[in-house]
Amino acid sequence: MGGTIAPDRILHEMADLWVSLGKQSEGDAGVLRACSMTLVVAVEESDDAQAIGETIAALMPEHPSRAIVIRFRAADRRMLAARVFAQCWMPFGHRQQICCEQIEITAADASVPDLAAVVLPLTVPDLPVVLWCRSPRLFHLPAFPQMANIAQKVVLDSSAFGEPAGILKEMSDALTAAGRSLADLSWTRLTRWRELIAQIFENRVQLANLPDVSAVRVLCCSKSPPVEAFYMAAWLLDGLEKIGGHPQARFDSAVGVASGELNRVDLLARDGVTSIASISLVEGHAAEVRVGGLVNRAVLPRPTDYALMREELSIPGRDAVFERTLAVAARLAASEPHL
Amino acid sequence: MLPVFRRPVQERELRAILNYMSLENPFQDPLRFERQVPECALAIFGANGDLTKRKLLPALYRLAYERRLSAGFAVLGLSRTAMSDEQFREKMRVSVKEFLEDSPFDDDIWTAFAQGLFYMAGDVHEAALYPALDARLKEIEGQRHTGGNVLFYLSTQPSQYIPIAQGLGAANAGKGKGWRRIVVEKPFGHDLTSAQELSAELHKVFHESEVYRIDHYLGKETVQNILAFRFGNGIFEPLWNRNYVNHVQITAAESIGVEGRGAYYQEAGSLRDMIQNHLLQILATVAMEPSATFRPDSVRDERSKLLRSIRIMKPEEVLENTVSGQYGPASIGGEDVPGFRQEPGVNPDAQTDTYAAITFFVDNWRWAGVPFYLRSGKRLPKRVTEIAIQFNAAPLAIFNGNESNIAPNLLILRIQPEEGISLKFLSKRPGAGMKLRPVSMDFNYGSSFGERSPTAYETLLLDAIIGDATLYTRQDMVEANWGVVDAIQHVWDNTKFNFPNYAAGTWGPTAADDMLARRGHVWRQP
Repeated sequence: MGGTIAPDRILHEMADLWVSLGKQSEGDAGVLRACSMTLVVAVEESDDAQAIGETIAALMPEHPSRAIVIRFRAADRRMLAARVFAQCWMPFGHRQQICCEQIEITAADASVPDLAAVVLPLTVPDLPVVLWCRSPRLFHLPAFPQMANIAQKVVLDSSAFGEPAGILKEMSDALTAAGRSLADLSWTRLTRWRELIAQIFENRVQLANLPDVSAVRVLCCSKSPPVEAFYMAAWLLDGLEKIGGHPQARFDSAVGVASGELNRVDLLARDGVTSIASISLVEGHAAEVRVGGLVNRAVLPRPTDYALMREELSIPGRDAVFERTLAVAARLAASEPHL
Repeated sequence: MLPVFRRPVQERELRAILNYMSLENPFQDPLRFERQVPECALAIFGANGDLTKRKLLPALYRLAYERRLSAGFAVLGLSRTAMSDEQFREKMRVSVKEFLEDSPFDDDIWTAFAQGLFYMAGDVHEAALYPALDARLKEIEGQRHTGGNVLFYLSTQPSQYIPIAQGLGAANAGKGKGWRRIVVEKPFGHDLTSAQELSAELHKVFHESEVYRIDHYLGKETVQNILAFRFGNGIFEPLWNRNYVNHVQITAAESIGVEGRGAYYQEAGSLRDMIQNHLLQILATVAMEPSATFRPDSVRDERSKLLRSIRIMKPEEVLENTVSGQYGPASIGGEDVPGFRQEPGVNPDAQTDTYAAITFFVDNWRWAGVPFYLRSGKRLPKRVTEIAIQFNAAPLAIFNGNESNIAPNLLILRIQPEEGISLKFLSKRPGAGMKLRPVSMDFNYGSSFGERSPTAYETLLLDAIIGDATLYTRQDMVEANWGVVDAIQHVWDNTKFNFPNYAAGTWGPTAADDMLARRGHVWRQP
């Protein structure tokens, strides 16, 4: 490991890697190189390397990519180091091996301003670049916008990024300024919840009740509402405003299995008490939907990082629903008296 | 904004009417959500039969598990056997647990799903059944908020299709507050005349747009992927014509025999059972022109146009371009396997085709002169369905004139098992000299997309509930298929074949190899 790295050398090492993989392969099947994007993953050095490696490996069959994992080390001395290896799998009964490249870069904080110049030549030409920033520290470093500029899409997880009002405003401002696609895994975690709610109102009878909704109540397992709660409330308010409603958002605490986890969502009638529709988490992995006297259950497993990233990587462009919700959530969080 | 009214009752009523007419679900997010389905009741005729137990209920449960069905979704099972709702639910629970594929069974999800399962006993030939059915559906509508939408599913013997259609018509059950649709399982008649009769009876009650003739092959992910492959990519379509394609082989092979269905099968045969519907639909999907949009009738128009372009054989052309086969006894892997004529319920002199191979030509500008070889059979060496598109070889062997250096490119679209796509091409062997070797570029559905693919019935049931008929067969398509097949069947019916002509466990009669050899081709071994 040296103190600096040269992109040309890494590219050369990758070329050597493919030659050696080809030599190792048995028979005539050979090795198939697969790539549909560059996935840059920014993590803290203390982050669980094995878990991240497993997530990236799980993503590869569906989203084969050149993965560039950047590990940040809190150090003042400028330091950059890199190694190259491959993620391979054999999907066809060991007939043929499919491989993706992975580059691992270790960088000290002091070297962050140099990073963009190193990563840019390592991205695969003509294919999209996605930056998955798992490090709150990097997000707040002045050099972050430079890194983000490499990518067409930036994925964050705001649940780890501090208090909701601040991070929602920061993200909303960043989105407006940069004009690139932004994703937040805290929002992605709500997809199955939101889908269940949308499903209720596919029924015309239930749909006709929507104008009667006077308030949305979001219960979470935390003292103050987390980002997910604001997203959920903002999305519901935005939807209800589309049909001429002006409901209020209410946030409450609930006892649940995981801290900060969304526990229940109610759409309340004009009396502010009667629930027109509700979804609640039961037994930690299922959702109970109550509407119009009917009770239904659906599986609602807590999504893994793999499932969340898989969903985000399937959306290459901008997400208008998220962008609208983010703006409403930022306003909602700023005005919330809890905070 | 909705207007404000002074009298609350009137306001509510008016609001409901206005909303019903104009409100769109404001929570939809098509970028992330799966397709949402409207509320409805599914009335299954033949609810005690194999198809319901093995395919329909497991598919519906799976859709519920995946949160794809509306909260009030209901199933009303009908058959002759007397059963309570509870007994029906228990029976279905056992079946779903047994026949659910690649998927866990969750007791809580089942309990919630089973609340929407109902049952009524009755004879489809009894007129009294239909008003009672209509009343029960209204009762369920009140209980489950199904909005009066009903999907009827004919999972009975084909001979009951017309009596059921007539019964529904007499009770006016084909019309209601919401939409009404009917799903019909194959066979759609046993020849052109009977198919037209069936359609005529269905049309007395349902408009053609409400009739969903199901061909489960079209619901398979990989059959749908043919459309994505052809029309979602720019590089293949320019090659997809008589200038570059040498010939096409479509194979649907089964390793099993008639499995106790000998009596039924000896009346049907491979030509009617497989080629008339599944294989001709696949051929149409492979060869159709691109549709202007992906709307159901736009796609079906193109498929139908293609089917109507298939050359109908003259009687004197039939035996030259077709091969009928029937398997005889054999020993496979140390096990003695009976021939078709030795199967229970089969006439010892049966002239039924358990194997059919046909050479079709499509008379249009794109495909003129390109043979489409279709074959389907029982007791073949393995279960496989695939399409092999063989391209013309390079015009000149410039690499040492070695024959192995001019192997034609082959594109394989595998429907089942191991769904996927492979492209075979030549590559230089490393080292001195220009020695080429064939290599394969593979795309495997299962491993390339980590998630489980929906079964054909999940896809097709969902489509019928949503009202998307793209993957369903329209009347004109059925009639075009029968037009092609009747010409062959008529000659076969008047020919005494020397059956059996292939041993169980082999790739069919040698006459099928000869049929291809006449045009310089050989069957690909899947």
